[in-house]
Amino acid sequence: MLNDEEVRAIAAEARLSLHGDELAKAVRYINNFLGMVDRFKELDLKDVPPFCFAESTECPLREDVAAPFPRVPDILAARSQSLDYAGAFRVPRIVEE
Amino acid sequence: MSGLHELSTSEIAAGVKGKKFSALEVFDDCLNRTLACDGSLDALITTVVEDGRRAAEAIDGRVARGEPLGPLAGVPTVLKDNMCTYKVRTTAGSRILGGWEPPYSATVWTLLSEAGATLLGKSNMDEFAMGNTTGTSAFGPTRNPWDTSRVPGGSSGGSAAAVAAAYVPFALGSDTGGSIRQPASYCGIYGLKPTYGLVSRYGLIAYGSSLDQIGPFARSMADIALVMSVIARHDPRDSTSVPGKSFDFTVRKGSDALRGKRVALVREFQDFTLDKPIADAMKRVAKICEDAGAEITEVSLPTVGRYAVACYYAIAASEAHTNLARYDGVRYGAEADEHAGTLREAFEDVRSKGFGVEVKSRIIAGTCLTEPVRSEEYYVAATRVRTLIAEEFHRAFESADCILQPVTPSMPERIGEVDDDATKGYEADLYTLPVNMAGLPGLTFFTGYAESGLPVGLQLVGHRWSDATLVDMGAALEEIIGSPRVPAVVKGAA
Repeated sequence: MLNDEEVRAIAAEARLSLHGDELAKAVRYINNFLGMVDRFKELDLKDVPPFCFAESTECPLREDVAAPFPRVPDILAARSQSLDYAGAFRVPRIVEE
Repeated sequence: MSGLHELSTSEIAAGVKGKKFSALEVFDDCLNRTLACDGSLDALITTVVEDGRRAAEAIDGRVARGEPLGPLAGVPTVLKDNMCTYKVRTTAGSRILGGWEPPYSATVWTLLSEAGATLLGKSNMDEFAMGNTTGTSAFGPTRNPWDTSRVPGGSSGGSAAAVAAAYVPFALGSDTGGSIRQPASYCGIYGLKPTYGLVSRYGLIAYGSSLDQIGPFARSMADIALVMSVIARHDPRDSTSVPGKSFDFTVRKGSDALRGKRVALVREFQDFTLDKPIADAMKRVAKICEDAGAEITEVSLPTVGRYAVACYYAIAASEAHTNLARYDGVRYGAEADEHAGTLREAFEDVRSKGFGVEVKSRIIAGTCLTEPVRSEEYYVAATRVRTLIAEEFHRAFESADCILQPVTPSMPERIGEVDDDATKGYEADLYTLPVNMAGLPGLTFFTGYAESGLPVGLQLVGHRWSDATLVDMGAALEEIIGSPRVPAVVKGAA
Protein backbone atom coordinates (compact mmCIF):
# COMPACT_ATOMS: atom_id res chain seq x y z
CA MET A 1 0.00 0.00 0.00
CA LEU A 2 1.31 3.41 -0.93
CA ASN A 3 0.61 6.43 1.24
CA ASP A 4 -0.13 10.05 0.30
CA GLU A 5 3.50 11.14 0.30
CA GLU A 6 4.68 8.20 -1.83
CA VAL A 7 1.96 8.86 -4.44
CA ARG A 8 2.72 12.57 -4.42
CA ALA A 9 6.39 11.75 -5.07
CA ILE A 10 5.51 9.42 -7.97
CA ALA A 11 3.24 12.09 -9.43
CA ALA A 12 6.04 14.62 -9.18
CA GLU A 13 8.30 12.21 -11.06
CA ALA A 14 5.69 12.24 -13.86
CA ARG A 15 5.67 16.07 -13.66
CA LEU A 16 2.15 16.18 -12.25
CA SER A 17 0.98 18.06 -9.20
CA LEU A 18 -2.24 16.92 -7.55
CA HIS A 19 -4.72 19.43 -6.22
CA GLY A 20 -7.84 19.28 -4.05
CA ASP A 21 -9.26 15.78 -3.83
CA GLU A 22 -7.02 14.55 -6.67
CA LEU A 23 -4.43 13.18 -4.24
CA ALA A 24 -6.94 11.07 -2.30
CA LYS A 25 -8.39 9.74 -5.57
CA ALA A 26 -4.95 8.95 -6.95
CA VAL A 27 -3.93 7.09 -3.77
CA ARG A 28 -7.06 4.96 -3.93
CA TYR A 29 -6.63 4.36 -7.66
CA ILE A 30 -2.99 3.34 -7.45
CA ASN A 31 -3.56 1.02 -4.47
CA ASN A 32 -6.47 -0.69 -6.25
CA PHE A 33 -4.28 -0.92 -9.34
CA LEU A 34 -1.45 -2.55 -7.42
CA GLY A 35 -3.96 -4.95 -5.85
CA MET A 36 -5.01 -5.94 -9.37
CA VAL A 37 -1.50 -6.53 -10.70
CA ASP A 38 -0.45 -8.40 -7.54
CA ARG A 39 -2.14 -11.41 -9.17
CA PHE A 40 1.01 -11.95 -11.21
CA LYS A 41 2.64 -13.33 -8.06
CA GLU A 42 0.50 -16.46 -8.39
CA LEU A 43 2.43 -17.40 -11.54
CA ASP A 44 5.88 -18.90 -11.97
CA LEU A 45 7.31 -16.60 -14.63
CA LYS A 46 11.05 -17.19 -14.27
CA ASP A 47 11.41 -19.14 -17.54
CA VAL A 48 8.87 -17.12 -19.52
CA PRO A 49 10.42 -14.56 -21.88
CA PRO A 50 8.98 -11.04 -22.13
CA PHE A 51 6.46 -10.67 -24.93
CA CYS A 52 7.60 -9.86 -28.45
CA PHE A 53 5.60 -10.03 -31.68
CA ALA A 54 6.92 -12.89 -33.81
CA GLU A 55 7.09 -10.62 -36.84
CA SER A 56 9.28 -8.01 -35.15
CA THR A 57 12.27 -9.39 -36.97
CA GLU A 58 10.45 -8.99 -40.29
CA CYS A 59 10.07 -5.24 -39.85
CA PRO A 60 13.13 -3.70 -41.48
CA LEU A 61 14.23 -0.35 -40.12
CA ARG A 62 14.47 2.56 -42.52
CA GLU A 63 17.89 3.74 -43.49
CA ASP A 64 19.01 6.30 -40.94
CA VAL A 65 19.15 9.23 -43.31
CA ALA A 66 18.10 12.72 -42.33
CA ALA A 67 15.28 13.99 -44.55
CA PRO A 68 14.20 17.62 -44.75
CA PHE A 69 10.83 18.45 -43.21
CA PRO A 70 9.08 20.91 -45.52
CA ARG A 71 6.64 22.38 -43.03
CA VAL A 72 8.80 24.04 -40.39
CA PRO A 73 6.83 27.31 -40.75
CA ASP A 74 3.67 25.45 -39.70
CA ILE A 75 5.38 24.31 -36.50
CA LEU A 76 6.71 27.79 -35.74
CA ALA A 77 3.34 29.40 -36.42
CA ALA A 78 1.76 27.33 -33.68
CA ARG A 79 3.97 28.70 -30.88
CA SER A 80 3.72 32.09 -29.25
CA GLN A 81 7.49 32.34 -28.72
CA SER A 82 8.52 31.76 -32.33
CA LEU A 83 11.73 33.24 -33.64
CA ASP A 84 10.89 32.88 -37.32
CA TYR A 85 14.14 34.47 -38.48
CA ALA A 86 16.07 31.73 -36.69
CA GLY A 87 13.76 28.84 -37.63
CA ALA A 88 13.32 28.19 -33.92
CA PHE A 89 11.16 29.02 -30.97
CA ARG A 90 12.09 30.08 -27.48
CA VAL A 91 11.84 27.39 -24.81
CA PRO A 92 12.02 27.68 -21.02
CA ARG A 93 15.49 27.88 -19.50
CA ILE A 94 16.79 24.31 -19.25
CA VAL A 95 19.85 24.79 -17.07
CA GLU A 96 18.51 26.11 -13.80
CA GLU A 97 20.59 28.28 -11.51
CA MET B 1 -30.27 15.96 -53.27
CA SER B 2 -31.37 14.40 -49.96
CA GLY B 3 -31.07 10.83 -48.70
CA LEU B 4 -27.52 10.44 -50.03
CA HIS B 5 -26.19 10.21 -46.47
CA GLU B 6 -27.79 6.77 -46.09
CA LEU B 7 -25.95 5.29 -49.09
CA SER B 8 -23.05 2.91 -48.61
CA THR B 9 -19.43 3.74 -49.39
CA SER B 10 -19.46 1.80 -52.66
CA GLU B 11 -22.84 3.26 -53.72
CA ILE B 12 -21.55 6.80 -53.18
CA ALA B 13 -18.29 6.16 -55.07
CA ALA B 14 -20.20 4.51 -57.96
CA GLY B 15 -22.75 7.34 -58.05
CA VAL B 16 -20.05 10.02 -58.14
CA LYS B 17 -18.09 8.20 -60.85
CA GLY B 18 -21.29 7.60 -62.85
CA LYS B 19 -22.37 11.27 -62.45
CA LYS B 20 -25.65 10.24 -60.77
CA PHE B 21 -24.83 12.91 -58.21
CA SER B 22 -21.82 15.05 -57.45
CA ALA B 23 -19.32 14.65 -54.62
CA LEU B 24 -20.39 18.08 -53.40
CA GLU B 25 -24.05 17.02 -53.25
CA VAL B 26 -23.06 13.99 -51.19
CA PHE B 27 -20.87 16.07 -48.89
CA ASP B 28 -23.58 18.67 -48.35
CA ASP B 29 -26.23 16.03 -47.66
CA CYS B 30 -23.96 14.34 -45.10
CA LEU B 31 -23.18 17.76 -43.62
CA ASN B 32 -26.91 18.55 -43.30
CA ARG B 33 -27.49 15.23 -41.58
CA THR B 34 -24.59 15.99 -39.24
CA LEU B 35 -25.93 19.45 -38.41
CA ALA B 36 -29.41 17.99 -37.78
CA CYS B 37 -28.13 15.35 -35.34
CA ASP B 38 -24.93 16.55 -33.73
CA GLY B 39 -26.54 19.04 -31.40
CA SER B 40 -28.01 15.99 -29.66
CA LEU B 41 -25.19 13.50 -30.14
CA ASP B 42 -21.95 15.53 -29.88
CA ALA B 43 -20.19 12.93 -31.99
CA LEU B 44 -17.79 15.43 -33.54
CA ILE B 45 -15.24 17.71 -31.95
CA THR B 46 -14.52 19.48 -35.23
CA THR B 47 -16.76 19.69 -38.30
CA VAL B 48 -14.67 20.30 -41.41
CA VAL B 49 -16.97 22.38 -43.57
CA GLU B 50 -14.94 24.54 -45.96
CA ASP B 51 -11.97 22.23 -46.54
CA GLY B 52 -14.34 19.27 -46.89
CA ARG B 53 -16.47 21.04 -49.48
CA ARG B 54 -13.34 22.11 -51.38
CA ALA B 55 -12.11 18.49 -51.45
CA ALA B 56 -15.51 17.38 -52.79
CA GLU B 57 -15.36 20.04 -55.51
CA ALA B 58 -11.88 18.81 -56.44
CA ILE B 59 -13.29 15.29 -56.90
CA ASP B 60 -16.06 16.70 -59.08
CA GLY B 61 -13.38 18.45 -61.14
CA ARG B 62 -11.66 15.13 -61.71
CA VAL B 63 -14.96 13.56 -62.78
CA ALA B 64 -15.60 16.42 -65.22
CA ARG B 65 -12.12 16.09 -66.72
CA GLY B 66 -12.43 12.33 -67.03
CA GLU B 67 -9.44 11.70 -64.77
CA PRO B 68 -8.99 8.40 -62.93
CA LEU B 69 -10.78 8.18 -59.58
CA GLY B 70 -10.00 6.16 -56.48
CA PRO B 71 -12.30 3.58 -54.90
CA LEU B 72 -13.57 6.11 -52.32
CA ALA B 73 -14.22 8.96 -54.76
CA GLY B 74 -16.38 11.57 -53.08
CA VAL B 75 -17.11 9.50 -49.96
CA PRO B 76 -17.27 11.69 -46.84
CA THR B 77 -15.67 10.26 -43.73
CA VAL B 78 -14.90 10.99 -40.10
CA LEU B 79 -11.64 10.28 -38.31
CA LYS B 80 -11.21 9.78 -34.60
CA ASP B 81 -9.54 12.89 -33.23
CA ASN B 82 -6.30 11.09 -32.41
CA MET B 83 -5.31 10.81 -36.09
CA CYS B 84 -3.22 13.70 -37.35
CA THR B 85 -4.76 15.71 -40.18
CA TYR B 86 -2.63 18.42 -41.77
CA LYS B 87 -3.83 21.85 -40.62
CA VAL B 88 -7.07 20.42 -39.19
CA ARG B 89 -7.35 20.66 -35.40
CA THR B 90 -6.45 17.38 -33.69
CA THR B 91 -7.07 17.15 -29.95
CA ALA B 92 -7.08 13.48 -28.83
CA GLY B 93 -10.02 14.60 -26.69
CA SER B 94 -7.64 16.51 -24.44
CA ARG B 95 -7.33 20.07 -23.26
CA ILE B 96 -3.54 19.74 -23.45
CA LEU B 97 -3.60 19.63 -27.25
CA GLY B 98 -6.29 22.31 -27.42
CA GLY B 99 -6.24 23.87 -30.86
CA TRP B 100 -3.24 21.95 -32.18
CA GLU B 101 -3.13 21.75 -35.98
CA PRO B 102 -0.69 19.02 -37.02
CA PRO B 103 2.00 19.87 -39.56
CA TYR B 104 1.51 16.47 -41.23
CA SER B 105 -1.17 13.83 -41.80
CA ALA B 106 -1.44 10.28 -40.53
CA THR B 107 -0.71 7.67 -43.20
CA VAL B 108 -4.29 6.35 -42.99
CA TRP B 109 -5.66 9.79 -43.86
CA THR B 110 -3.16 10.16 -46.71
CA LEU B 111 -4.32 6.80 -48.10
CA LEU B 112 -8.03 7.59 -47.71
CA SER B 113 -7.73 11.02 -49.30
CA GLU B 114 -5.66 9.63 -52.18
CA ALA B 115 -8.50 7.15 -52.70
CA GLY B 116 -10.92 10.09 -52.98
CA ALA B 117 -12.43 10.31 -49.48
CA THR B 118 -13.40 13.75 -48.15
CA LEU B 119 -13.04 14.73 -44.49
CA LEU B 120 -16.29 15.79 -42.80
CA GLY B 121 -15.14 15.78 -39.22
CA LYS B 122 -12.91 14.71 -36.36
CA SER B 123 -14.78 12.64 -33.82
CA ASN B 124 -15.05 12.78 -30.08
CA MET B 125 -13.17 10.27 -27.97
CA ASP B 126 -12.11 9.56 -24.43
CA GLU B 127 -9.07 11.65 -23.59
CA PHE B 128 -6.04 10.00 -25.21
CA ALA B 129 -8.33 6.98 -25.79
CA MET B 130 -8.41 6.17 -22.07
CA GLY B 131 -11.98 5.17 -21.35
CA ASN B 132 -14.90 3.23 -22.75
CA THR B 133 -17.75 5.77 -22.81
CA THR B 134 -16.28 9.04 -24.27
CA GLY B 135 -16.96 10.38 -20.77
CA THR B 136 -13.32 11.33 -20.17
CA SER B 137 -13.24 13.65 -23.22
CA ALA B 138 -12.42 17.26 -22.37
CA PHE B 139 -15.19 18.14 -24.84
CA GLY B 140 -17.97 16.33 -22.96
CA PRO B 141 -19.59 12.97 -23.74
CA THR B 142 -21.07 11.71 -27.01
CA ARG B 143 -24.57 10.17 -26.83
CA ASN B 144 -25.80 6.89 -28.28
CA PRO B 145 -27.93 7.45 -31.42
CA TRP B 146 -30.31 4.65 -30.33
CA ASP B 147 -30.94 6.17 -26.89
CA THR B 148 -29.44 9.56 -26.19
CA SER B 149 -29.52 8.97 -22.44
CA ARG B 150 -26.94 6.20 -22.92
CA VAL B 151 -23.25 6.08 -23.76
CA PRO B 152 -22.11 5.19 -27.28
CA GLY B 153 -19.14 3.25 -25.92
CA GLY B 154 -15.55 4.32 -26.27
CA SER B 155 -13.01 5.35 -26.69
CA SER B 156 -13.90 5.75 -30.40
CA GLY B 157 -17.52 6.54 -29.48
CA GLY B 158 -17.75 9.63 -31.70
CA SER B 159 -16.78 7.71 -34.84
CA ALA B 160 -19.21 4.89 -34.01
CA ALA B 161 -22.10 7.29 -33.31
CA ALA B 162 -21.37 9.26 -36.50
CA VAL B 163 -21.59 6.11 -38.64
CA ALA B 164 -24.62 4.69 -36.81
CA ALA B 165 -26.49 7.99 -37.22
CA ALA B 166 -25.45 8.14 -40.91
CA TYR B 167 -23.39 11.31 -40.84
CA VAL B 168 -21.03 9.31 -43.07
CA PRO B 169 -20.96 5.72 -44.39
CA PHE B 170 -17.66 4.86 -42.72
CA ALA B 171 -15.23 6.24 -40.16
CA LEU B 172 -11.93 5.29 -38.60
CA GLY B 173 -11.29 4.59 -34.95
CA SER B 174 -8.41 3.18 -32.96
CA ASP B 175 -8.50 0.17 -30.67
CA THR B 176 -6.06 -0.27 -27.78
CA GLY B 177 -8.22 -2.55 -25.63
CA GLY B 178 -11.60 -2.61 -27.40
CA SER B 179 -12.06 1.01 -28.46
CA ILE B 180 -13.39 0.11 -31.93
CA ARG B 181 -15.26 -3.10 -31.08
CA GLN B 182 -17.12 -1.94 -27.96
CA PRO B 183 -18.60 1.29 -29.46
CA ALA B 184 -19.42 -0.59 -32.70
CA SER B 185 -21.43 -3.01 -30.55
CA TYR B 186 -23.15 -0.29 -28.52
CA CYS B 187 -24.07 1.69 -31.65
CA GLY B 188 -25.19 -1.33 -33.69
CA ILE B 189 -22.70 -1.26 -36.57
CA TYR B 190 -19.62 -3.19 -37.71
CA GLY B 191 -16.13 -2.45 -36.45
CA LEU B 192 -12.85 -4.20 -37.22
CA LYS B 193 -9.74 -4.09 -35.08
CA PRO B 194 -7.13 -5.38 -37.54
CA THR B 195 -4.12 -7.55 -36.75
CA TYR B 196 -1.42 -5.42 -35.07
CA GLY B 197 0.98 -4.44 -37.84
CA LEU B 198 -1.52 -4.52 -40.73
CA VAL B 199 -2.54 -0.83 -40.69
CA SER B 200 -0.01 1.98 -40.23
CA ARG B 201 0.03 3.84 -36.91
CA TYR B 202 2.11 6.71 -38.32
CA GLY B 203 0.36 9.89 -37.23
CA LEU B 204 -1.82 8.15 -34.64
CA ILE B 205 -1.40 9.91 -31.29
CA ALA B 206 0.01 7.09 -29.19
CA TYR B 207 -1.55 5.65 -26.04
CA GLY B 208 -0.16 2.11 -25.72
CA SER B 209 2.10 1.67 -28.72
CA SER B 210 2.29 -2.13 -28.61
CA LEU B 211 -1.52 -2.34 -28.41
CA ASP B 212 -2.90 0.54 -30.54
CA GLN B 213 -4.35 -0.30 -33.93
CA ILE B 214 -6.45 1.76 -36.38
CA GLY B 215 -9.51 0.21 -38.01
CA PRO B 216 -12.84 1.00 -39.72
CA PHE B 217 -16.48 1.37 -38.65
CA ALA B 218 -19.29 0.93 -41.19
CA ARG B 219 -22.95 -0.04 -41.51
CA SER B 220 -22.12 -2.95 -43.82
CA MET B 221 -19.39 -5.54 -44.07
CA ALA B 222 -18.86 -4.64 -47.75
CA ASP B 223 -17.85 -1.16 -46.61
CA ILE B 224 -15.52 -2.56 -43.93
CA ALA B 225 -13.89 -4.64 -46.68
CA LEU B 226 -13.59 -1.70 -49.07
CA VAL B 227 -11.96 0.55 -46.47
CA MET B 228 -9.57 -2.20 -45.40
CA SER B 229 -8.52 -2.69 -49.03
CA VAL B 230 -7.37 0.98 -48.95
CA ILE B 231 -5.71 1.27 -45.53
CA ALA B 232 -4.11 -2.19 -45.08
CA ARG B 233 -0.69 -1.28 -46.49
CA HIS B 234 2.87 -1.56 -45.32
CA ASP B 235 4.21 1.82 -44.23
CA PRO B 236 7.98 2.34 -43.93
CA ARG B 237 7.23 5.20 -41.51
CA ASP B 238 5.82 2.75 -38.95
CA SER B 239 8.47 0.28 -37.86
CA THR B 240 5.80 -2.10 -36.56
CA SER B 241 3.98 -2.18 -39.91
CA VAL B 242 4.73 -5.65 -41.26
CA PRO B 243 5.69 -5.79 -44.97
CA GLY B 244 4.51 -8.44 -47.41
CA LYS B 245 0.98 -8.82 -46.05
CA SER B 246 -1.73 -8.21 -48.59
CA PHE B 247 -5.19 -9.68 -48.51
CA ASP B 248 -8.20 -9.82 -50.77
CA PHE B 249 -10.90 -7.97 -48.86
CA THR B 250 -13.52 -8.35 -51.61
CA VAL B 251 -16.84 -9.45 -50.14
CA ARG B 252 -18.86 -11.84 -52.30
CA LYS B 253 -22.62 -12.20 -52.01
CA GLY B 254 -23.83 -15.69 -51.24
CA SER B 255 -20.41 -16.78 -50.00
CA ASP B 256 -20.06 -20.00 -48.09
CA ALA B 257 -17.65 -18.43 -45.61
CA LEU B 258 -19.12 -20.15 -42.55
CA ARG B 259 -19.19 -23.69 -43.98
CA GLY B 260 -16.60 -25.97 -42.45
CA LYS B 261 -15.28 -23.30 -40.05
CA ARG B 262 -14.51 -24.33 -36.49
CA VAL B 263 -16.14 -21.60 -34.42
CA ALA B 264 -15.06 -21.86 -30.78
CA LEU B 265 -16.68 -20.68 -27.58
CA VAL B 266 -14.36 -19.92 -24.64
CA ARG B 267 -14.94 -22.31 -21.74
CA GLU B 268 -13.87 -19.85 -19.03
CA PHE B 269 -16.18 -17.11 -20.33
CA GLN B 270 -19.25 -19.31 -19.96
CA ASP B 271 -19.26 -18.87 -16.18
CA PHE B 272 -19.58 -15.09 -16.44
CA THR B 273 -22.93 -13.32 -16.30
CA LEU B 274 -24.18 -11.58 -19.42
CA ASP B 275 -27.12 -9.25 -19.89
CA LYS B 276 -30.00 -11.26 -21.38
CA PRO B 277 -29.97 -9.73 -24.89
CA ILE B 278 -26.27 -10.58 -25.18
CA ALA B 279 -26.68 -14.12 -23.82
CA ASP B 280 -29.60 -14.66 -26.20
CA ALA B 281 -27.55 -13.35 -29.14
CA MET B 282 -24.70 -15.75 -28.31
CA LYS B 283 -27.09 -18.74 -28.50
CA ARG B 284 -28.81 -17.46 -31.63
CA VAL B 285 -25.60 -16.71 -33.54
CA ALA B 286 -24.00 -20.03 -32.55
CA LYS B 287 -27.08 -21.77 -34.01
CA ILE B 288 -26.89 -19.62 -37.17
CA CYS B 289 -23.24 -20.60 -37.61
CA GLU B 290 -24.07 -24.26 -37.10
CA ASP B 291 -26.96 -24.12 -39.56
CA ALA B 292 -24.62 -22.50 -42.10
CA GLY B 293 -22.24 -25.43 -41.87
CA ALA B 294 -19.84 -24.34 -39.14
CA GLU B 295 -18.75 -26.62 -36.34
CA ILE B 296 -19.20 -25.17 -32.84
CA THR B 297 -16.27 -26.16 -30.64
CA GLU B 298 -14.76 -25.05 -27.35
CA VAL B 299 -11.37 -23.66 -26.39
CA SER B 300 -9.88 -23.00 -22.98
CA LEU B 301 -8.15 -19.71 -22.11
CA PRO B 302 -7.50 -19.93 -18.35
CA THR B 303 -4.65 -17.41 -18.26
CA VAL B 304 -6.69 -14.94 -20.27
CA GLY B 305 -9.66 -15.37 -17.94
CA ARG B 306 -7.69 -14.70 -14.77
CA TYR B 307 -4.79 -12.43 -15.71
CA ALA B 308 -5.57 -10.55 -18.94
CA VAL B 309 -7.21 -7.52 -17.35
CA ALA B 310 -4.38 -6.91 -14.88
CA CYS B 311 -1.76 -7.61 -17.53
CA TYR B 312 -3.37 -5.25 -20.00
CA TYR B 313 -3.69 -2.33 -17.63
CA ALA B 314 -0.11 -2.78 -16.38
CA ILE B 315 1.25 -2.64 -19.92
CA ALA B 316 -1.12 0.06 -21.17
CA ALA B 317 -0.39 2.36 -18.22
CA SER B 318 3.36 1.80 -18.52
CA GLU B 319 3.35 2.63 -22.21
CA ALA B 320 0.98 5.58 -21.67
CA HIS B 321 3.22 7.16 -19.07
CA THR B 322 6.11 7.04 -21.54
CA ASN B 323 4.08 8.21 -24.53
CA LEU B 324 2.47 11.08 -22.68
CA ALA B 325 5.77 12.38 -21.33
CA ARG B 326 6.07 14.37 -24.57
CA TYR B 327 3.31 16.78 -23.54
CA ASP B 328 5.44 19.34 -21.82
CA GLY B 329 3.97 22.59 -23.13
CA VAL B 330 7.08 23.32 -25.15
CA ARG B 331 6.77 21.92 -28.65
CA TYR B 332 3.02 21.85 -29.34
CA GLY B 333 -0.39 22.10 -27.75
CA ALA B 334 -1.06 24.08 -24.59
CA GLU B 335 1.86 26.34 -23.66
CA ALA B 336 3.38 26.70 -20.25
CA ASP B 337 2.76 29.95 -18.42
CA GLU B 338 5.91 31.97 -19.07
CA HIS B 339 5.80 33.15 -15.45
CA ALA B 340 5.66 29.57 -14.15
CA GLY B 341 9.14 29.79 -12.61
CA THR B 342 11.52 26.85 -12.99
CA LEU B 343 11.40 24.43 -15.89
CA ARG B 344 9.99 21.79 -13.59
CA GLU B 345 7.23 24.13 -12.44
CA ALA B 346 6.43 24.99 -16.05
CA PHE B 347 6.09 21.29 -16.95
CA GLU B 348 3.95 20.57 -13.90
CA ASP B 349 1.76 23.57 -14.55
CA VAL B 350 0.90 22.69 -18.14
CA ARG B 351 0.50 18.94 -17.50
CA SER B 352 -1.53 19.29 -14.33
CA LYS B 353 -3.97 21.72 -15.96
CA GLY B 354 -3.99 19.98 -19.35
CA PHE B 355 -4.66 16.34 -18.46
CA GLY B 356 -7.94 15.01 -17.06
CA VAL B 357 -8.19 12.83 -13.96
CA GLU B 358 -8.28 9.42 -15.73
CA VAL B 359 -5.21 10.27 -17.78
CA LYS B 360 -3.34 11.51 -14.72
CA SER B 361 -4.26 8.34 -12.82
CA ARG B 362 -2.93 6.09 -15.58
CA ILE B 363 0.25 8.14 -15.96
CA ILE B 364 0.89 7.86 -12.21
CA ALA B 365 0.14 4.11 -12.31
CA GLY B 366 2.54 3.65 -15.23
CA THR B 367 5.24 5.69 -13.52
CA CYS B 368 4.82 3.60 -10.39
CA LEU B 369 4.96 0.23 -12.20
CA THR B 370 8.08 1.12 -14.16
CA GLU B 371 10.12 2.59 -11.31
CA PRO B 372 13.33 0.60 -10.87
CA VAL B 373 12.19 -0.74 -7.48
CA ARG B 374 8.95 -2.15 -8.89
CA SER B 375 9.63 -2.70 -12.58
CA GLU B 376 10.65 -6.39 -12.35
CA GLU B 377 7.76 -7.21 -10.04
CA TYR B 378 5.07 -5.51 -12.16
CA TYR B 379 5.98 -4.22 -15.61
CA VAL B 380 8.42 -6.95 -16.62
CA ALA B 381 6.14 -9.55 -15.03
CA ALA B 382 3.26 -8.20 -17.14
CA THR B 383 5.28 -8.60 -20.34
CA ARG B 384 5.93 -12.24 -19.35
CA VAL B 385 2.24 -12.83 -18.59
CA ARG B 386 1.52 -11.35 -22.01
CA THR B 387 3.68 -14.06 -23.56
CA LEU B 388 1.57 -16.71 -21.78
CA ILE B 389 -1.62 -15.07 -23.08
CA ALA B 390 -0.36 -14.95 -26.67
CA GLU B 391 0.79 -18.59 -26.47
CA GLU B 392 -2.59 -19.60 -25.08
CA PHE B 393 -4.38 -18.01 -28.05
CA HIS B 394 -1.90 -19.64 -30.43
CA ARG B 395 -2.73 -23.07 -29.00
CA ALA B 396 -6.47 -22.34 -29.08
CA PHE B 397 -6.30 -21.54 -32.79
CA GLU B 398 -4.76 -24.94 -33.51
CA SER B 399 -8.25 -26.38 -32.95
CA ALA B 400 -10.40 -23.43 -34.02
CA ASP B 401 -10.65 -21.04 -36.96
CA CYS B 402 -12.15 -18.29 -34.86
CA ILE B 403 -13.68 -17.53 -31.48
CA LEU B 404 -17.26 -16.31 -31.08
CA GLN B 405 -17.68 -14.24 -27.94
CA PRO B 406 -19.45 -11.22 -26.46
CA VAL B 407 -17.96 -7.76 -26.83
CA THR B 408 -19.14 -6.63 -23.40
CA PRO B 409 -21.07 -8.37 -20.62
CA SER B 410 -23.68 -5.64 -20.48
CA MET B 411 -25.74 -3.28 -22.62
CA PRO B 412 -24.71 0.40 -22.76
CA GLU B 413 -25.08 2.17 -19.44
CA ARG B 414 -26.71 5.53 -18.89
CA ILE B 415 -24.46 8.57 -19.17
CA GLY B 416 -23.06 9.47 -15.77
CA GLU B 417 -23.50 5.97 -14.29
CA VAL B 418 -19.89 5.55 -13.22
CA ASP B 419 -18.38 3.59 -10.43
CA ASP B 420 -16.21 5.72 -8.17
CA ASP B 421 -13.53 3.05 -8.34
CA ALA B 422 -12.37 3.23 -11.96
CA THR B 423 -10.45 -0.05 -11.73
CA LYS B 424 -13.73 -1.99 -11.20
CA GLY B 425 -14.97 -0.87 -14.61
CA TYR B 426 -11.85 -2.38 -16.16
CA GLU B 427 -13.24 -5.91 -15.64
CA ALA B 428 -15.90 -5.15 -18.28
CA ASP B 429 -13.10 -5.04 -20.85
CA LEU B 430 -12.23 -8.74 -20.43
CA TYR B 431 -13.81 -9.68 -23.76
CA THR B 432 -11.95 -7.13 -25.81
CA LEU B 433 -8.51 -6.39 -24.40
CA PRO B 434 -6.92 -9.88 -24.63
CA VAL B 435 -7.21 -9.48 -28.40
CA ASN B 436 -4.84 -6.50 -28.27
CA MET B 437 -2.48 -8.32 -25.93
CA ALA B 438 -1.90 -10.97 -28.59
CA GLY B 439 -2.16 -8.58 -31.57
CA LEU B 440 -5.13 -10.49 -33.03
CA PRO B 441 -7.89 -9.24 -35.33
CA GLY B 442 -11.36 -8.84 -33.81
CA LEU B 443 -14.60 -8.03 -35.62
CA THR B 444 -17.74 -6.67 -33.98
CA PHE B 445 -20.83 -7.56 -35.99
CA PHE B 446 -24.46 -6.54 -35.66
CA THR B 447 -26.87 -9.26 -34.47
CA GLY B 448 -30.20 -7.42 -34.15
CA TYR B 449 -32.08 -5.25 -31.65
CA ALA B 450 -33.10 -6.01 -28.07
CA GLU B 451 -36.67 -5.38 -26.86
CA SER B 452 -35.44 -2.01 -25.55
CA GLY B 453 -34.59 -1.02 -29.12
CA LEU B 454 -30.86 -1.01 -28.38
CA PRO B 455 -28.65 -2.90 -30.82
CA VAL B 456 -26.68 -5.98 -29.78
CA GLY B 457 -23.26 -6.83 -31.19
CA LEU B 458 -21.01 -9.85 -30.83
CA GLN B 459 -17.40 -10.48 -31.70
CA LEU B 460 -15.40 -12.86 -33.88
CA VAL B 461 -11.71 -13.16 -32.97
CA GLY B 462 -9.23 -14.79 -35.33
CA HIS B 463 -5.57 -15.72 -35.38
CA ARG B 464 -3.03 -13.17 -36.56
CA TRP B 465 -3.44 -12.16 -40.22
CA SER B 466 -6.87 -13.82 -40.54
CA ASP B 467 -8.52 -10.42 -41.05
CA ALA B 468 -9.90 -11.23 -44.51
CA THR B 469 -11.40 -14.49 -43.23
CA LEU B 470 -13.13 -12.63 -40.40
CA VAL B 471 -14.47 -10.08 -42.89
CA ASP B 472 -15.81 -12.91 -45.10
CA MET B 473 -17.47 -14.56 -42.10
CA GLY B 474 -18.93 -11.25 -40.94
CA ALA B 475 -20.35 -10.65 -44.42
CA ALA B 476 -21.91 -14.13 -44.45
CA LEU B 477 -23.50 -13.43 -41.05
CA GLU B 478 -24.79 -10.07 -42.32
CA GLU B 479 -26.49 -11.84 -45.23
CA ILE B 480 -28.29 -14.17 -42.84
CA ILE B 481 -29.02 -11.75 -39.98
CA GLY B 482 -29.58 -8.53 -41.93
CA SER B 483 -27.90 -5.12 -41.82
CA PRO B 484 -28.40 -2.40 -39.23
CA ARG B 485 -31.04 0.27 -39.74
CA VAL B 486 -30.39 4.01 -39.58
CA PRO B 487 -32.21 5.80 -36.74
CA ALA B 488 -34.48 8.74 -37.55
CA VAL B 489 -33.02 12.23 -37.11
CA VAL B 490 -31.70 12.12 -33.60
CA LYS B 491 -33.06 14.89 -31.45
CA GLY B 492 -33.58 15.66 -27.82
CA ALA B 493 -30.90 14.42 -25.49
CA ALA B 494 -32.66 12.94 -22.47
